[in-house]
Amino acid sequence: MPLPARCSVFLCDFLSMTLAKRYILLVLGTLLLACSRGNKVPEIPVNDFFKSQDRATYRISPDGKSLSYLKLQDKKQNLFVEDIATGKVVQLTRLREKNISFYSWVSNNELIYYKEKHGDRFQSDLFIINKGGKDERQLSSNEKTRMRVLDDQLMDDKYLLILSNQRDSTVSDVYRLNVRDGKMEMAAQNPGNITKWITDSKGRLRMATSSDGVNEKLLYRENEGQEFKTILTNNFKTTLFPVAFAEEKPNTVYAISDVNRNNSALVELDCLTGKEKSVLFSNDTLNVVDAQYSKRKGKMAYVVCETWKKEKHYLDNDAKVLYQKLDKLLAKAEVRVIDRDKSEDVFVLRTFTDRNPGSYYLYIASNGTLKKLSDINSSIKEEEMCEMKPISFTSRDGLKLNGYLTLPLNSTAKNLPVVVVPHNGPGQRNTWGFNAEVQFFANRGYAVLQINYRGSSGYGKNFYAAGFKQWGGKIQDDIDDGVQWLVQKKIANPQRIGIYGSGFGGYIALNAAIKSPKLYKCAASNTGVLNLFSYLSTIPPFFRSNLQMYYEIIGNPDTDVDYMRQASPIFHAEKVNIPIFITQNTKDPRISASDAIRFVKELKKRNVPVTYFEREDLPFGMGREESRQKTYAALESFLENNLKKK
Amino acid sequence: MISEKDTGYRKNFSLIVTFIVLISVVFVLSLFLAFNYSKKNIENEFVSAKANVLEESIKPYNDFFFNKLPEISYYNGFLDSATASKFVDTILLQYPFVSKVVFYDTEVKNIKYEENGLNQGHFAIGMKSVYQFGSLVPKDSIKLFSASEGRNYAETEDFNASALKIINFLQKLDTAKVPNQDKLFSSFATIRSNKIDYFNIPSPELLKTYKRMVSEKLDSDPIYQQDLLSFELDPSKIKIKNTRPLLYQHIKIEPITYDPLDASEYITGEISLPGAFSEFKLYFISSRSFVKKEIFSYFLPIAALLLLFYGVLVLVAFLIYRNLNINHKMFKLQYDFLTNLTHEFKTPVSVIKIAGNNIKSAPSISEREQKLYGKILDEEADKLNGLMNKLLAFTQIENKAITLNRDEINVAEFIESTIDVHCLKHPDFDFTYELDGFKTLVTDPVLLGSLFDNLAENAYKYSPVNHKKLHISARLVKDRVVFRFKDAGIGIPSSEINNIFKKFYRIQNRYNQNGSVGLGLAFCKELVNFMGGEITVKSVVDKGTEFKIVLPYNNEL
Repeated sequence: MPLPARCSVFLCDFLSMTLAKRYILLVLGTLLLACSRGNKVPEIPVNDFFKSQDRATYRISPDGKSLSYLKLQDKKQNLFVEDIATGKVVQLTRLREKNISFYSWVSNNELIYYKEKHGDRFQSDLFIINKGGKDERQLSSNEKTRMRVLDDQLMDDKYLLILSNQRDSTVSDVYRLNVRDGKMEMAAQNPGNITKWITDSKGRLRMATSSDGVNEKLLYRENEGQEFKTILTNNFKTTLFPVAFAEEKPNTVYAISDVNRNNSALVELDCLTGKEKSVLFSNDTLNVVDAQYSKRKGKMAYVVCETWKKEKHYLDNDAKVLYQKLDKLLAKAEVRVIDRDKSEDVFVLRTFTDRNPGSYYLYIASNGTLKKLSDINSSIKEEEMCEMKPISFTSRDGLKLNGYLTLPLNSTAKNLPVVVVPHNGPGQRNTWGFNAEVQFFANRGYAVLQINYRGSSGYGKNFYAAGFKQWGGKIQDDIDDGVQWLVQKKIANPQRIGIYGSGFGGYIALNAAIKSPKLYKCAASNTGVLNLFSYLSTIPPFFRSNLQMYYEIIGNPDTDVDYMRQASPIFHAEKVNIPIFITQNTKDPRISASDAIRFVKELKKRNVPVTYFEREDLPFGMGREESRQKTYAALESFLENNLKKK
Repeated sequence: MISEKDTGYRKNFSLIVTFIVLISVVFVLSLFLAFNYSKKNIENEFVSAKANVLEESIKPYNDFFFNKLPEISYYNGFLDSATASKFVDTILLQYPFVSKVVFYDTEVKNIKYEENGLNQGHFAIGMKSVYQFGSLVPKDSIKLFSASEGRNYAETEDFNASALKIINFLQKLDTAKVPNQDKLFSSFATIRSNKIDYFNIPSPELLKTYKRMVSEKLDSDPIYQQDLLSFELDPSKIKIKNTRPLLYQHIKIEPITYDPLDASEYITGEISLPGAFSEFKLYFISSRSFVKKEIFSYFLPIAALLLLFYGVLVLVAFLIYRNLNINHKMFKLQYDFLTNLTHEFKTPVSVIKIAGNNIKSAPSISEREQKLYGKILDEEADKLNGLMNKLLAFTQIENKAITLNRDEINVAEFIESTIDVHCLKHPDFDFTYELDGFKTLVTDPVLLGSLFDNLAENAYKYSPVNHKKLHISARLVKDRVVFRFKDAGIGIPSSEINNIFKKFYRIQNRYNQNGSVGLGLAFCKELVNFMGGEITVKSVVDKGTEFKIVLPYNNEL
């Protein structure tokens, strides 16, 4: 930190001036001044919060000898391979106009990767290359189709399972791709409703899930020669997703399921009957969100439960020993395994905390060495970031709600200006971890309140379903209740509360401006949803099968017209009287551009102060950083004008 | 006397008269012009303010057209009869000129319509159900048509026209470009006489799908929702906002062809209505006397302003004339003073000159002659000295160049010494005094002496030979000392009484043919003012004059 350093400089001055005693007072004064400023947190430039790493997507070769990664060079990502033992780096690709959007090891010596041209969403060229950078071959160059690797293990040393929509652009069929000659043969045809394919440890396609939008079906076949048979049907409100096939038990799959229970558990499922055979991990208060299967041991290693923070519960002793050792090495940080070799000895880890975006590490279990590979964002200094604390309160109708509160550094939790940041939705949640936006607000002196309002995932299926068709209704109340709770706790200054969000978060912010103008001094919506009708009618064709589900979560425009009208901000522009900040991504196909313009016009006509921005954000656009900087700078001054000034 | 012309002073009376005449002419002229201007202006306004009335009256329509219609698009085609009914209710309430609304719940699909719809390639657009809303629509005939009931709908004219427009639009649509809002609006809204049909505008994505549906049959057998609302408008229900009720006597909504015969007796104007009302116009009519009233109400403030301006000019002219007059009188007074002064100086100087000549030319001078000449020279020199002292003292007092001394004097002694001096000079002067209530007074003895001398001189001078009398009475009244100088002289005519204290003013009479400067009483007034007192005069012609001097009494040094 620069300021204490300055204090020590003053101290040196002070010692060297012992003779000039009459200056002592003066110097002491300066010293005190300088030190008292040490409490003030320096303002960190906007872009520092959002910088992305220049190295990403680390992978380990199956034999654990090579480490590969994508590195950003001149705004293009290129593929590199590093020999772990010697540290020798080879650059495999030198791209000019395309990006690598995906790559994977397919054998100890070979990698495949896609080149994608930005903007052409489903066009990809598939290549295979030797780890020494030799023998690069193009496997496919179908201009019109999307291709994804389904299972990155190579069968018979030449076949790879991939998903492609070359037959019908709206559905993905499974193909067996011969990586030697690039030939593809269909492994399974998608009747149109298959949403996920699952392979067993040998790479055989044996399970699939299908959906008609509302009901999900689990399909199974004992071997690839048979037809898929439906073994289970569930409503979309129910979670059931297979994690891995149990190798030692035939026709058994491990799955995370909340069938007949509120919270998800890890269960063993009989693939022939669709019945639960046993429960491996279940808890009335804990929700299983992830589970790790060890292919080497053929066993479930651990489950991940999420309360306010993700925690591992070990099902295997070796795994427990391994991860507890890691936890000791990387104290306090949350650790994720990014990749591992086949023998589960060499790991790429990713760590993070609420105050640190984290780093990538290479961990070799056999000798216990841990090596830092790179930081996610080296501009962030952990000691300048703010702690994200879990909170909970009870809503007006008695539901327990959870959330997070981030207070500005070195502040007393009293009478602070607050920015409420409702998360995007539906079916998402706020999680504990580094959140650039939250840290940006906290750094500028605001307490940041995040609420997992009803309908958020991770709190059981009842809680999830409680949010259905409550947009603009009870969801809005939940946010208001959270703010009231913060006011009652005297943490918030009731005169200085603003609300900001993006997507459905922005939608909630605008509805807050309409429904609770006394509670909020200003509202900001970053590419927010303005009109539920438009939102539903712009659902792209490849999501059409989910339409019924959206109807149930958001509202059915055929039967709930009135409710949807009530809940859509665009119909209520005349009720907005507090300053509004709106950005709109003109390239976002989900938002109707004319809606936002109309809304802004209506506000301007009524002399409501509006800040309006059009952005053209593209995933790899050149102007992305400038656009982001401009937006956040405008947002910063918008909040400052409305929440900090008198 | 030197002629007035030579001194550079002129009488400006004729000049002022000329000026007054000139500005009067200008005034009348400007009144005339102002009236003409008012008339022209009101006539022009009768033409130009029509646009204002139109704008104000058509505001609800514009609001309906630009703000309310696009709201239909917010529903993205998902309007149903219940919501449409609510939506229409707010419109009927807010916009009285909307008389009836027909709502066509419409579907777009790939399956051809045999009836109740239009097809273009595989693109088929047809009615699912039709409802009508309006204040005059009976409850049992709200629903006009429903596809599920298997009847055909007869009045398809509005629907077909709008649907055809969409089909034409789709055929010309370039899916590579985002269609602009104006083009979209004009393609999905149809404006006809007294009627507006509005289809909700689909998103660009959906338009692309529609375009594809024209040429191919989509696998998914899609059904998309469109809403068509057909508004029937009644121009007679437009609320006319007469923004100039004093200018337009009547404003009516009439068909565009309306042209009455008797219009020549009135001032008329018209302006056509926009959009769906284009077959109607606003017709403005006012009788001539009505307009005249408005002209006068416009002209009168201007006239008042002109009159005010004219009045100010006349006032200024009068003031200038008055000042000139006063200056002229002042000049005359000063001129008289100079003449008198010269005369005053001339007498002693000529006496001295004669005495000097006599002494010079006489071969010898007897003792008697020497004494005589000595006395003459001495007296005349004193006279000159007195004159000069008086002038000097006067200027000093006037310019406040001297300071007031404060000495305690014994009033009785003071008056007696004055009487002594004057009786010595004029043995025939009957000079008496009385004193009552006080003995001493703190004042400047020199100034008080001058004052007494002057008043005594005057009393002597302006009295007939046998009546040279002066009586001084000194009294203490409350905290003031009052001196009264009462003589039995010639008196001052009441017409002059206001002028006697003015500088250089002299009453023309035989007593002051020579030897008066006209400064005496002005000097006295200055003296009294300087001492903080007041001087007043009462006089009766041929009976006598009484001067009353009031001085503040304070007996402390």
